[in-house]
Amino acid sequence: MTVVEEEHPTVPLWRQGLRVFAENRLALVGAGMFVLLAALSFLGPLFYHTDQVHTDLTAVNLPAGSPGHPLGTDGVGYDQLGRLMLGGQTSIIVGLAAGVLATAVGTIWGAVAGFAGGWVDSAMMRVVDAMMSIPALFLFMLLAAIVTPSVPMLIFIIGAFAWLGPARLVRGEALSLRSREYVQAMRAMGGTGGRAVRSHIVPNAIGTVIVNATFQIADAILYVAYLSFLGLGVPPPAANWGGMLSDGLADTYSGHWWLLYPPGIAIILIVLAFNFIGDGLRDAFEVRLRRR
Amino acid sequence: MKSSFLRAAVAIGSAITLGAGLAACTGSSNESAGGATSSNKDTATVALRTPNWILPISAPGFTQGENAIFGQALYRSLYSYRLDGTAEYNIDSRRSMAEAPVVSNGGKTLTITLKDNKWSDGQPVTTKDIQFWYDLVTANKDKWASYRKGGFPDNIADWTVKDDKTFSLTTTKAYNTAWFVDNQLNRITPVPQHAWDKDNQASKPEGAKKVFDTLTTAAKDTKTYDSNPLWQVNSGPWKLAKYVPNGEVTLAAQSTYSGEDKAKLAKIVLRPFTGDDAEFNVLRAGDLDYGYVPAANVSQKSYLESKGYKVSPWYGWSITYLQLNYNNPKTGTLFKQPYLRQAMQMLIDQPTINKAIWSDTAAPTCGPVPQKPGVTDASGCVYKFDPAAAKQLLETHGWKVTPDGQTTCTTPAQCGTGVTAGQPLTFTVTSQTGFAATTKMFAEIKSQMAKLGITLNIKEVPDSVAVTPACKPADATCSWDMSFFGSQGSWYYPAFASGERLFATDAPVNLGSYSNPEADKLIEATQFSADDKALTAYNDFLAKDLPVLWMPNPVYQVSSYRSGLQGVEPQDPMNYMYFQDWSWK
Repeated sequence: MTVVEEEHPTVPLWRQGLRVFAENRLALVGAGMFVLLAALSFLGPLFYHTDQVHTDLTAVNLPAGSPGHPLGTDGVGYDQLGRLMLGGQTSIIVGLAAGVLATAVGTIWGAVAGFAGGWVDSAMMRVVDAMMSIPALFLFMLLAAIVTPSVPMLIFIIGAFAWLGPARLVRGEALSLRSREYVQAMRAMGGTGGRAVRSHIVPNAIGTVIVNATFQIADAILYVAYLSFLGLGVPPPAANWGGMLSDGLADTYSGHWWLLYPPGIAIILIVLAFNFIGDGLRDAFEVRLRRR
Repeated sequence: MKSSFLRAAVAIGSAITLGAGLAACTGSSNESAGGATSSNKDTATVALRTPNWILPISAPGFTQGENAIFGQALYRSLYSYRLDGTAEYNIDSRRSMAEAPVVSNGGKTLTITLKDNKWSDGQPVTTKDIQFWYDLVTANKDKWASYRKGGFPDNIADWTVKDDKTFSLTTTKAYNTAWFVDNQLNRITPVPQHAWDKDNQASKPEGAKKVFDTLTTAAKDTKTYDSNPLWQVNSGPWKLAKYVPNGEVTLAAQSTYSGEDKAKLAKIVLRPFTGDDAEFNVLRAGDLDYGYVPAANVSQKSYLESKGYKVSPWYGWSITYLQLNYNNPKTGTLFKQPYLRQAMQMLIDQPTINKAIWSDTAAPTCGPVPQKPGVTDASGCVYKFDPAAAKQLLETHGWKVTPDGQTTCTTPAQCGTGVTAGQPLTFTVTSQTGFAATTKMFAEIKSQMAKLGITLNIKEVPDSVAVTPACKPADATCSWDMSFFGSQGSWYYPAFASGERLFATDAPVNLGSYSNPEADKLIEATQFSADDKALTAYNDFLAKDLPVLWMPNPVYQVSSYRSGLQGVEPQDPMNYMYFQDWSWK
């Protein structure tokens, strides 16, 4: 009797992951919200032209629905919808770049520490512990007050301190992965530590890294908003949603709701979007949830 | 999925803290504002930045308005002034510690007699205390913020103490008495010799230096303000009951006060805020007896009035300007070109900024002498808003104007001495944090400058005066270009609005190091001539020469105080607050 092995159609891992991701409705909603906000920010200005460089003091604080200004104007006459688009660009670019930077640095740091172990691990992780003991927002404010805020500077400042979380996470993964047989085998055949980290530790921790990256991006967007809200963001005529919210605050009691709610809602939506996406990705990378 | 909702909840919470939570503040304030009548009838809570200088001898970097108010509450000046035009030399007799000076010797000698005053420990205020002050400032001129070379005490030829109550001073030249009384004698503040110089060391210059160092060291130690015995002997109507560095300050009525204007309330609480919004939230919530309405919220006047507050603009005897640093090694040569200053001035639309941003609470500054309170007309300004004329000025002086790009010098011979080919017009403005209207104003000015290819980079700092000190010529470390500290007015004059402290060469508050021999001559003339024409000539020259860029002059603040709080009006245009006049109805 011949045993015929049951045939399974070979479904690529990424498609399995995509299917699991798609089953998470909130993740789809998050992805949709992000696409919409990104489209509004980056494609919107191609269709909706406004002057976001020159002020117009003859048209300050026009209410939403005014002719030519669907979301009104702000205290120096900038069109609020156009400003929302411009602000979205800064918020998303800084959030994405800072989140990616933090994830990259944290991943390398954590993977090296976890794989090396011993005193190297201790020394590297004490650096992480020491930096984590300082409130991040306080550090961001201090640095932002010392240097002149700009988009690259905000990315650097936020990225420079947001990598601590990913470093800890990846270090935990690396501690587990370094004792796996395939890593031991590679080392026995003369593979270097660098190769082990590059070819085995980081690729096998990629699920954790990517999921965490989405949360890092969401956190980075919030940090940009915090800093800008505190007046430490990019100066005018550049804009970001946190700064717009801060500007709108001065007009809270004047009934100028269009200066306050659109940027506030945009911040809420984009942070939620990345959290939902992160949750969906976590499911997608979870092997047990994939259909065999 | 659980963690998803947790993170989502955290995210929503964080975002809502930034955004929608603000609306909650609005709602709650409506409820609590009902308590707009104070239950503490012997106390008033006042919004005021925390003072950080207690010694009644001004020090560089500590000349902010709150320090002057704090100082006057604890240590009275020899003379106080009022600008209602009713008093000789503008002296406010009720608050002053001496009778008006008797002038003799062709205007050179002034004889001053002290009134009967006592220190809070019961000791009489005598000429020893005046002499002690004189010894301290004479020996420490370089550390005294009010010192100007050739000014007080350099211009004193003779200082004679006649008895415990009378002293006289003879000046080196016959000054305009009004100027000398208003702008020189206003610095004299009796200080308690018996408490601060028990060994009588200050009678000798080296001893005076030693005592002064001890006092300034103690004055810098703010955390000991309410415990250091030095500060517990006062001449003012108030004593310091509690001081929290960068926090609340409590003044208590001085029970042994000997002046006529005794405090009517038992306590004054000075409460600082990090910015306009925070202060206005608390004001709306009814937790302040005296606060201010930010320019963006002036429309809230009727709301505040419905909650039992009075709203009243506090006009200052002041001017507002954008300081230019003539000693900046890179941009100083540019500021020295009169045509460039004129072009930049013509890009500042003062009337429109006043209307759209300051909600009609600012007045145009056209020159160094303040306009009358409430004037909003800029027709008297030499340089009106005129971008076309500004462009033409630049082009005729060798600049290639690139709108929304970078204007550069193409013909150095025309651009002016020291300006090089290709040099751009790029400047950094060091401005103030915490003032929404100021941020908007510079967004507008930056925009107007950009239209002619002039780049302004705005940098907001908490204390723009502190980080833009006067620089020596060719000082390579002198990096600031322009400085703005006028969100509540840049400069409050003493009773006589002459410019010897602001625009004279080497004047103590001439942060930008402006120097023009003609201006010096005209400023000096105001000190010697009683003729109003001298002041007019000085004003007209500097209005045209632009030592600084003239900016909209905001009211010191739009005050808002409980309708039951009496004695607040009139608000002193010289920026003092006399809490002792306040009482509850």
